[in-house]
This record gives sequence, structure tokens and C-alpha cells, in this order.
Amino acid sequence: MILIEAGERTDRHFDAKLLLATQLAARGHPVILDDRTLPDRLERYQKYEAARFLADVDRVEVTRVIIIGAEAIGQDTLTALRHRQFGPGVAVHVVGRFADRQAAITAQSRAAYALGREPALVDLAALQGPTLVANAISPLAAAPVPGPEPERTPQLFVVLRQESLEDPMVLPLLSAMDQVPGFRLHVILPGKGKEQVKATRHAGLSIFGLSELSPATFAARADIAAFFGDGVPGERMAAFALDLMRSGRVAIDCTAGAGFVAAGAPAVRGPEDLGGLANYVQHNVLVNRRQIGLQAQRSPWLNARSVEPLEAALALVPGSVSEPKTDEAAPRRIVLLPTNGVGLGHARRCALVAAELGTKVAEPVFAAFPSCIPMLRGEGFDCLPLVQKSPDHPEDHANDLLNYLRLRRALRPGDRLVFDGGYVFDSVLRVINEREIDATWIRRGLWQAGQLQGGALDRERAFARVIVPGEAFAELNSDRGGAKVRRVGPIVQRRAVPDASERRAGRGALATRLGTPFSELVVTMLGGGVAADRTAQLQAVAAISEARTGRLNLVVVWPGAVVPPGLAGWTHTRVVQTRDALSLCLLADLVISAAGYNSFHEILYHGVPAIFVPQMAVYMDDQERRARAASDRGLAETVLAHELLLLDREIAAFLDLGKGDRVRAALAATELPAPGNRAAAALILGEEVP
Amino acid sequence: MTNQPRIAYVLDPRFPGGTSAAVAEEVAAVRPLVRPEVHAVTSRMFSGQSLSPALAGALDAAGIEAVWDAPVIAADTVILHNPAFLKFDKTLGRRIVARELIVVTHENFQRPGGAEGFDVAGCLDRIDRGTVALRKTLAPVSAHNRVTVSDWVARNGVRPGWSLAADDWFNICDFPLTPPTDAPRDRRGRHSRPGFEKFPPRAVLDLCFPRHAEANVILGAEVLMAEEAPVPHWQLHPFRGLDLERYFGMIDFMVYFTAPTWQESFGRVLAEAIAAGKVVISDAATAAGFAGAVVPTRPEEVDALIRGFIADPGRYASQVRRAQATLSRFSAEAFQARFAAATGLSREAAA
Repeated sequence: MILIEAGERTDRHFDAKLLLATQLAARGHPVILDDRTLPDRLERYQKYEAARFLADVDRVEVTRVIIIGAEAIGQDTLTALRHRQFGPGVAVHVVGRFADRQAAITAQSRAAYALGREPALVDLAALQGPTLVANAISPLAAAPVPGPEPERTPQLFVVLRQESLEDPMVLPLLSAMDQVPGFRLHVILPGKGKEQVKATRHAGLSIFGLSELSPATFAARADIAAFFGDGVPGERMAAFALDLMRSGRVAIDCTAGAGFVAAGAPAVRGPEDLGGLANYVQHNVLVNRRQIGLQAQRSPWLNARSVEPLEAALALVPGSVSEPKTDEAAPRRIVLLPTNGVGLGHARRCALVAAELGTKVAEPVFAAFPSCIPMLRGEGFDCLPLVQKSPDHPEDHANDLLNYLRLRRALRPGDRLVFDGGYVFDSVLRVINEREIDATWIRRGLWQAGQLQGGALDRERAFARVIVPGEAFAELNSDRGGAKVRRVGPIVQRRAVPDASERRAGRGALATRLGTPFSELVVTMLGGGVAADRTAQLQAVAAISEARTGRLNLVVVWPGAVVPPGLAGWTHTRVVQTRDALSLCLLADLVISAAGYNSFHEILYHGVPAIFVPQMAVYMDDQERRARAASDRGLAETVLAHELLLLDREIAAFLDLGKGDRVRAALAATELPAPGNRAAAALILGEEVP
Repeated sequence: MTNQPRIAYVLDPRFPGGTSAAVAEEVAAVRPLVRPEVHAVTSRMFSGQSLSPALAGALDAAGIEAVWDAPVIAADTVILHNPAFLKFDKTLGRRIVARELIVVTHENFQRPGGAEGFDVAGCLDRIDRGTVALRKTLAPVSAHNRVTVSDWVARNGVRPGWSLAADDWFNICDFPLTPPTDAPRDRRGRHSRPGFEKFPPRAVLDLCFPRHAEANVILGAEVLMAEEAPVPHWQLHPFRGLDLERYFGMIDFMVYFTAPTWQESFGRVLAEAIAAGKVVISDAATAAGFAGAVVPTRPEEVDALIRGFIADPGRYASQVRRAQATLSRFSAEAFQARFAAATGLSREAAA
């Protein structure tokens, strides 16, 4: 393994190590960072970037050490070098931009004293010439990134300073540019710039944080980048520009000091005024961009600053594969990742889609949280376990860091990822971007007012498509839409509805199995868990059932769910843990259910009379709206959680006054939309669906 | 006295280590012969540091007030101590006009293995460009230092007018002599300034300062104190954490190895230990400068060597006495003779 060290232990030095580590890893070099060199204050993005490189150096075999920023080697780094006692077979390179011979001698000597032998010296000033960024710590070497799909609309990235947002014309100008045909606009802003924009009416702009993606990932996504500000905006953006130019794409130098052009970089000089950029891009760049890119690639300046001379100076042989590569012959893997949310709805929906993927592709596999795994394995799917969030973790995203590492290892460029959930985790977003994954977001609709906006929707841009499973009733299909959104019918589990004799046989078998004969069957599945305490409702139904001879109230919960202990005292109530609630619903005279997407549609599509008791929480879908859409049509009844007396009356109405039969008849007469399971699967596979 | 040759010293008096101590001794030694001018130079190397206490004391005692940053330094003989102080400067920053310029090369020009110790060519060039002199002489401080200078000159050359002094411009080691103990014990120690270059790899330290030794006292041990796993059988003290008298009272053997990529140019710490009545053990190259006063060995042989001395206290005592006798080569009197010959004072005395 190649250990990357830095002269000092500052945040800047660590970020420079990350830049180099990411670049060398992409070139196939096995790179690590000493986990003891983590700065105390680490930005969230840095944790994700660093996670895959961090190692306990005492437990890995180090074959090479690269010390960057060696112009100043501090005591901590020297102490670590001395402590490691690297053997003579471990090559050590001291890398820096040395102002003069004495600076180089000082760096080499200091390292030599700590190591007990001479390191090799790499003077970037001699190797590359002057750097784009004064006092840069990272070697800043240009590396090619994979070519874009030839037919894609040119992607223009505009890099701005955060202070530029103080100009009231900037956001309107960007919004106007966003409407210009011929390119797709993205903006890169440092600091809190992204949040600032998202809080305005220009929130629809595609905004990236400066550190949100690695420079190479930015370069892979961009065709043209325009850099504004006083000069070259830091090491990350310099690395982005270098990779971009090296890949035959266009860097436009709009900086006030012409920082790129003055340094000799093969960037084209653009307008310093943002207002002139759209015309400049349209009339000067788009028509010439391939030629500009070719010229940049031929630039001696760029060649001197390319990664190959650096690799040669460090005696690194590129291509020793440590990163998974696309194997054109291998089938594309499909990984489905449902969030576990409140219940298992996401996992259930994913399993239904996975079942439709057929055998045209490699067997779909799941990356799933522990609560979903038994159900998914029970359905016959392989599962990569993900780590559940826990209050015991030191940070709220600690589990997501681990999940990122697992997903990164599991997915190869070109694989497909299907994510089902409301909020796209950083791990998912990063893996999609870094691995160039063909990603699908299954995003159930019916959000509560104000729920789906800003950051949540901002993450949509990483996905190739967004599949919105429909609701049974058209007025509930209220997703905001967009170019990537594909609507399909409700994704719902379908079973054959038993006829009268099958129901009798099923109920008999159930009575035998439970040892409780019954003449009326109520299935109660109110959900619960973190969303709400349903003890009062469960007790109410149990009490109501207790008063009726021959009634059995089956409280159905997921295996492992917490059940209120007070239920055990009722003689007409039994608790059943099962993943197959639908089978019991099909035998029931009445189902009392929460109005989650899956339960609601299963009940409706199988014609089961039901009272819906919506679960409401700020982070959940609008279950009350969904329930009322059915009850307003006479296809069910809606009782809110606090309406216990109404619940009593409605149970009586369904079971004693014929309302259950009327609802069953109404359901049988209602034509619901065709299920979208198969259409969703086809979309995931990139097929066009009418 | 009025016809005495004018002699001027040029140095950055903020050198924290051996250079300032050596020059302090030197000023005191030559004061009976001559009243030199002392020109203090503010170089970038010691930016922010203060005057060496040893040198300040010596100047006070000699009644000499240093002249700071004079634009012109004129004398018959100008003695510039340690050219390495110019390594971070662009120029000498002043004019030196002299019959002879003697550049005392305190720092080795090359490290073991041949790597350059500092930007020698740059420093010598700055001196050369700033000096008008009939002769310019490089004066090494020890046999080893001489080897590094002559090797460097052979490899890189020097400008016309430069030559290498025939005799070493040695450090004066006029320490009070303490007699050796007649009952040496396995009490080992080392002292140095706390740089990484002063310390050998951990494996060598383990051989030199083993668990079974009665005492292992390491003074100036900041480098070891910063390491992650403390070694319980080592007594680690920071630089100047013990006064030298107390430190020498805790040991009978000084065992001194450095990083293999560095070597002492003179080794005043070794001379101090000899004067304090200790048997001093070091690597062969370092020991070579002391003409038998330092016992040469390899780290893996240190244990046996010490056992041998403990078993034979007479041999211990005779080694110390022989070593202390050798120190007379580095006495103030010997230096005065060396100085007088180099500066023309001896010719004047003869006249």
C-alpha cells in the first residue's frame, strides 16, 4: 500500500492528501491515509472522501510513502516517520515545491534524520513549473477522466465565489442562463452558498457545494467550466480545471486576474462579467469546444502538469488495479436499496419491482437495513447488510459512512442502483456520482405540504430517472414532475382473491391453528413504532371485540415489532407476527389499518372492507388524504386516531349494519388503475414505457 | 599593541548550539592576545531568536561590544564562523575587506552517504561575492569535518582564491576535569540537543539502553518523549531538564549514537562527558576525531564493552584518564597557538 503523508497536520494538508489519494486511487494505485492523521475538525464531505483510504498503518503493509507539502515538515510528521521505522524496501518520496536548493536540502535532511535513511526528493517546481495556486500543497496533476456520452447536452459548470451572491443580479442572471438552450447549467459555490441559493426563488438552479464532489467527479460531469473570482479558486477547483482540460474539455478563465491564462494554462479567456457568459459560451465555445479541447490536450504546459510525469517521478506504475472497472462482458448488476422508513413499505415495494426484473439481467440483489433483511431473504433475494442509524454512534451519519464504503465496494461503474426512499443518503449520492451508476429513484408521492423540496429534490439530479408509483386515485398523484420523472401505476402486491369456499377453508385453518374458533374476523394492523403510539387504538378495538361473541381480533405486526403488553389480557384478541398480512386480510370481515402506501393499495386492490386509521407524522406521507380519497368514494371508512368513539360506531356499522358488504360491493365495481410493477421494472432496465 | 593585526569575527550570535559555545570559548581564549572586533550578523536562519547566553557572557567578560549588522567589515583577518547561517539569505548583506578571510566550517558540508548538509555552494558564493580578500580559507573544525569539506570541494570545486586550511580550527574544550569513579556501574546516559538527527533508530537505542542496565538517562529526549509508547526503563528528560552536573552524577558511561544520516562535526558533548570523568562510547567515525578518547564500537557490542569496563575498574579509570589527557589537544593554550599562527600574531610576537 502507498501511504500518503503531508508535512503538516493541518486541515489544508489533510485535504491535499485527500486530493492526491483520490487521484492516485482512480489511476489504480492502492493508497491509504494514516487514520491517526485525521484532523479534529473534518468537514462532512471529507469524511466520506477519506473513509475508503483510512487505515491503521500498523496493520497494513506499506510499500511506499509519499510525503507531500514537504516544504515544511513538522514535528508530528517526523515523529510518525521515526515511529514507523519503515524498512529499507519501503521507498519514501519527499514531494514539494521548493523555493531554492536550501529548501530542498532542508526537507530531504529532516526526513532523512527521522527515517534514518535518505528519501527520494521530488521537486514539483522543477517537474511541473509554477503552480496554478500559490502555496498549493497537493501536486495538482492533470488526469484524464472518462469521456461523456457523445449525445449528451453540454454541461456548463460555473464556479463562483460566495460573495458574488451579494450582487442582486447574479441569481437572476443564472436563472436566465438556465433557460438558454444548448447547454445545461450547474453552479458551484463554496461555503454556505448552496444553502443561500436554495432559500431563494432561484432554488430550482442546479447548485453544487464546492466540495460536494471530488474534482475528478466534477470533471467527468462537466463539458465546460467557467471560473469567476479574483484568481484561481483554490486547489480543488484548480484540480477540477486541470482534469477538465486534460480530458479535452473547456475551461473558461473569467477570473479578474486571468489567473489560469496568466499562469500559462490552456484555458480560454472569458468575460469577467457573468452577464456576458451565456453569449460567450453559445457563440465562441459551443461551436469550437472540440477544437479548444484538442488544443488544450496538446499544450506543453498541461503535459508538464499531467499525472504521468508525477507517476514517473514517484516510480508508480499505473494500472495496478485497485478500483473496479467496467467489464463490458459482465452483466450489469442491479442493486436495490430501500430505506426502512417507519415500516417496511420501501423494501416491500422494491421486492415487488425486483420480482418483475426477470432474467434478462443479473439476479437483482438488495442492499438493505437489518429490519428489512429477513423479509427480503424470505422473498429469495440476496442482501448486502447496511448499518442502521443508532444514537450510540458518535455522529448521526456514522452509519452512512460505513454504508458508503459497502456500497462503493459492491457497485462497479455501469451497474444499476434502485433507491426507494424519501431522502437520498449521502452514501447513495456519492456512489452514484463516483461510480457512474445508472440510478433510479423510486419516489412514492403524496408528500405532505412543504415536505419535498430544497435539498431532497436537489439530489434528484444524480439519478437517471425518478419513478413515481401512482396512487389509486388520480387526485393524489401530485409529484412536482420534471424531465426525469416517470409515472407508473400503483406498485402493489397482487394475490388471487379467494372465493367463498376458499375463505371458509382458510378461516377454518386459521381457527384450528390459533385454537380459537370464530365467526367474525377483524384484522387490525395500525402500524406504529417510531411514528406513533397506537396502544390506545389497539386497546379500543380489543375492548370492542371482547364484547362480541364469536369475534376474533387479530392484531397483525411485523416480526420483531413491539406489542403493547396489555393486549395479552383480552380473550378475543390475538397478536400475530407475520410478513404476510395480506393473506390474513383476504380472510377478514373487516380490516382496521393504517393508510400506508402498500397496505392501502393491497386492501383496495383485493376488495377488502377496511377502516383506515391514518398515521401522521411530519416525515411521513399524507395518509389522511389517501384514506379520505377512498372513504369519500364509499370504498372504505376513515377514522382519525383520536376518534375512538367513532371507531366503535364504524366497526359496528361494518360488521352489524351491512356497511362491510356495501364497501366490498363498491370495491368490486370500481376499476382501479393497472398496477405499475412491471412498468417500473422496465424503466429501471432503460426500456421505454408508453 | 597599536601595530597588532586587526582581527574581526563575523557570525550570527544567535546560534543555539555548539557554534556559539565554541565561539564564546574562543573569544575568551584569544582576548589575552588581541582585542578582536565582533560583528554580529542578523541572518534569516535565526529570525526571532535571541543572542546565545554563552556568547553574550563571553563578550561581556572580554569587554567587547558586538557591532550589529555593520555594512562594511574591514580587518587584516576576518574569521567568519559557520557559513551555514547564510543558507536562507540571498546575499552576505555586507562588504568584508581583509587580507585573509577564514571561514570556519562548523557544519559538515556533507552528510553520511554524500548528501549535501546545506546549500554549501550558495553560502560560499554569497561570502565570495561580498568579500574582497587576498586569501579565503576554509577551516574545518575536526578530522571528520575536514573530510566532508574536502570531499565536497573535490566534487564541486571552489572559486579561485579559496583554499583549505592545513590545521583544524578546533573547538576549545577547556572543561574542568573530574576524576573517574573507582567503582563504575552499569549506569548509562546520553545528552544532546533534541533534534531527530541526534537520535539513532529505536532498535539502536534499545541496544544502547537496555532494560537490564541499572540506569538509562537520556537528556534532551524530546524526540523520544513524543513517541507513542513510553519505555519504562528509560529516564527521559527534556533539553536542559537536568543541570549537567546532576546528569553526570547519574551515569558512568555515555553512549552516543546518532541518526545514520547525520554525524557530529566536532562533538562537544563527547568532550564534556570525557571531562566529567565518564567513559564515552560512540560509532567509529565519531570516535575518530578524538584520537582514542572516545571508545569506538557498534551498537550490538555496547553491552559487552560496558560489562568489560565494569569488571575491570582499573581499565575504566585508565581509559578516562587517557581520554582527559587527549583533551589537552583542544585546550585554550593549544588554540591560542593555532590562532596566533593563522592571524599573524605569532610573527608579530617574534618580531
